[in-house]
Amino acid sequence: MDYTIANIAPIVLLPFLAFVIGSFTAKKFPKFTGIMVCVAIFGSFLLSARIFADFVFNQYSADYYIHKTFTWFDLGPTFKLNLGIYIDQMSAMLLLMVSGVGFLIHLFATYYMGEDKRYARYMIYMSLFTAGMLGVALSDNLLSFFMFWEVMGFCSYSLIGFYYEREAPGDASMKAFMTTRIGDVFFLFGLLIVWNVTTQVNGQGSFTFVDLYNVIANGGFDGQMLLGIPLATFAGLCFFMGTIGKSAQFPLQIWLPDAMQGPTPTSALIHAATMVAAGVYLSLRVYPVLEAGHLLVFVSYIGAITAFGAATMALVQTDIKAVLAYSTISQLGFMVLGVGVGNYNAAFMHLITHAVFKACLFLSSGSVIHSLHDHHTGGHVQEMPRMGGLRKKMPYTAFVMVICSLAISGVPFFSGFVSKDRILGEALIMGLKNPVYSLPMVLGFVAALLTAFYMFRMIFLTFYGAPRDQELFDHCHTEKFSFNRNLPLLILSLFTLGLWYSGSLTGQGLVKFPGVENKEWFQTLIEKPDAHHLAKFKNYKSQAWGKVDVKPAIDFSKSHYDPTHGLSAEEAHHAHTLHLYGAVGSIFIAFLGIFLAYLMYIRKSLNPGWWATTFSGWYQTLKNKYYFDHFYIDVLIKKVLFKFQDFIAWVDMGIWDRIFIDGWANVNNFFSYWARKFDDVVVDTIGVDGTGAGVRFFNLVLRTLQSGKIQFYFVVIFLVMASYLLTLRVA
Amino acid sequence: MMGLASYLIISTILFICGVIAILARKNIIAILLGLELILNASALNFVAYTRFLNNSIDGHIFSLFIIVIAAAEAAVALAIVLRFYQIRETVHIDDATQLQG
Repeated sequence: MDYTIANIAPIVLLPFLAFVIGSFTAKKFPKFTGIMVCVAIFGSFLLSARIFADFVFNQYSADYYIHKTFTWFDLGPTFKLNLGIYIDQMSAMLLLMVSGVGFLIHLFATYYMGEDKRYARYMIYMSLFTAGMLGVALSDNLLSFFMFWEVMGFCSYSLIGFYYEREAPGDASMKAFMTTRIGDVFFLFGLLIVWNVTTQVNGQGSFTFVDLYNVIANGGFDGQMLLGIPLATFAGLCFFMGTIGKSAQFPLQIWLPDAMQGPTPTSALIHAATMVAAGVYLSLRVYPVLEAGHLLVFVSYIGAITAFGAATMALVQTDIKAVLAYSTISQLGFMVLGVGVGNYNAAFMHLITHAVFKACLFLSSGSVIHSLHDHHTGGHVQEMPRMGGLRKKMPYTAFVMVICSLAISGVPFFSGFVSKDRILGEALIMGLKNPVYSLPMVLGFVAALLTAFYMFRMIFLTFYGAPRDQELFDHCHTEKFSFNRNLPLLILSLFTLGLWYSGSLTGQGLVKFPGVENKEWFQTLIEKPDAHHLAKFKNYKSQAWGKVDVKPAIDFSKSHYDPTHGLSAEEAHHAHTLHLYGAVGSIFIAFLGIFLAYLMYIRKSLNPGWWATTFSGWYQTLKNKYYFDHFYIDVLIKKVLFKFQDFIAWVDMGIWDRIFIDGWANVNNFFSYWARKFDDVVVDTIGVDGTGAGVRFFNLVLRTLQSGKIQFYFVVIFLVMASYLLTLRVA
Repeated sequence: MMGLASYLIISTILFICGVIAILARKNIIAILLGLELILNASALNFVAYTRFLNNSIDGHIFSLFIIVIAAAEAAVALAIVLRFYQIRETVHIDDATQLQG
């Protein structure tokens, strides 16, 4: 297939143009704007699908890529900034996922937000956001990646605060924006380091991923130190801080639960499927830096702590969206854990599968919330204690939500099992091989157990049992099938099946579907750019912007994929056996979690209230989110930052103003006093007046000489002659 | 015996008398008279030096020239004085201020 700018750039430009045009039509033609946005994103989806189909069905090797650059600005031989697009297998899959899931969420939003008075504005913000995320997927360099990343941050901010009439969404949007900003600052530091290192190695600064990989492959980071730690570690830490901020990892996870103040499709698109996944995508893109900086253990700890901590917090939430929010944080933790234990491929696979089932879960929760009207307050109901038995009222939603919960819990035949099990299996291998990894391994498995439990707790509380608020239940309309409410959910739930992602149950090729051979397309196509494979980046080259891509497609069969992962046959067998144990273990864990939830909320043989009172300390800790908000606000901000602020103010007003500013004023006063003196005395009195006086004096003298008295002239003549004679005598 | 010195003393006395007349008198006629004295003193010097030191006739010729120039100068000066007197009705030197700057 020929790749030109004309069939790649519109992927980003279509939603962006929809945003631009929609900004003008939003007030007058809200319905038209909504439809236009959906059509634009569907266009992006078609173009992305074309690229995806070309990449996957033509079975190009993992090395195949399209890289086109143009010069953004040129400030001389050492400062030329190139931007461009880079599509490899990973970008192609991400493009399809973002545009596909994005389109379905937009479709759902036409149902969910249809009666809202700012419906069109909502749609154009979503459109701008989608353009940003597609831009991230297409970026060939960290700079434009960062710019699109910030576009997403802005859209997230404005969509969380969409109901700005109320105070909580406004606060939440600020919290989200400021918290992610911490990570973004570090990301910028990382950009500076990359520019510096590429300048040192190539003599030409660059932000492109390819150049970054090139530099690492050529050992550009070797031996470089910054502030006493290796430069690669520093750079990796900076980039990973970006991930921590954007993907709501520990310790910056606090903003994501509050972000649920936004409308539910926003939560689905931004805070579940795409933007928070962009953080993980960044980690995957800069994986060689993380590896070169020996940060993978740190990354795996952060991921495991996040996965476990968020899962525990999800246990006690009563708001249906809050459960999903913590679940999102937890699943993002799994992805980061996957990066940390070196299972690049599984981390990305979990990113994709999670985006699908979590978007579906959020949309389903939106479907539930939208149907429940409290006739006393007039608002929607999100509290699970007031739900129950809703499967009779909304059968489609209940069906879809159960499917997706099965997927996220890791039940076989579903996508969550395939991807999460691969992460857990790798964690198991790493944990048994290296004791450093044993804690992330254990936390990962416990988090998987908790995931199954809290998801089915949510399902049982929402859809099963007897209605706990009979009035609310009676007011709820029975669900009728509609194309923009149920169709997106059904399509998304279809893609929670595991067979789309892997030909086998576990994603390991161990337990295969009957008759399936060599269908591990995901594993084959996406290759970890680790130390073994970095050599290939030495030859990467970009193309001029306008050219048609004519690189010969490298055949799938020539792919570098090695089923034994570079291990000996014996080690590979050992690894596969462990993976199998991991798979069996995670199946057991998933069913155990579901069974516990069943005992607690259906059979009621375990009383949740007893647990809450017996472990009330823990219960309160979880309710208060491990007191992180208190810690940040009451301790970090009020005790430390305010003190620091006072100190800075004291330095500014007490020292800087008093001593330096006022001192400088005194110095200036002194000099101006003497300058004035000089002016008065030297210039005016001596110079100006003195000249006048001199002229006057000589005037007087000369006037006196010019008396006109002839005899005086004679006297002068005689005196001159006399002096002349006198001089002669002396000579 | 009359030597050079006596001639020079006479001419010096004449010169000094002329100078005093020029500087001290306010009457223009008197000043012109002083001027004649100075010219004649210098003419006497020329004749005396020629007679005692040179024995040529250069000094005599110079003194003849001086007498001629003095006569011409006196004629011109007296004409100016006469005109001045017609205008100002005085010959006082301090009244001659027309050329004062």
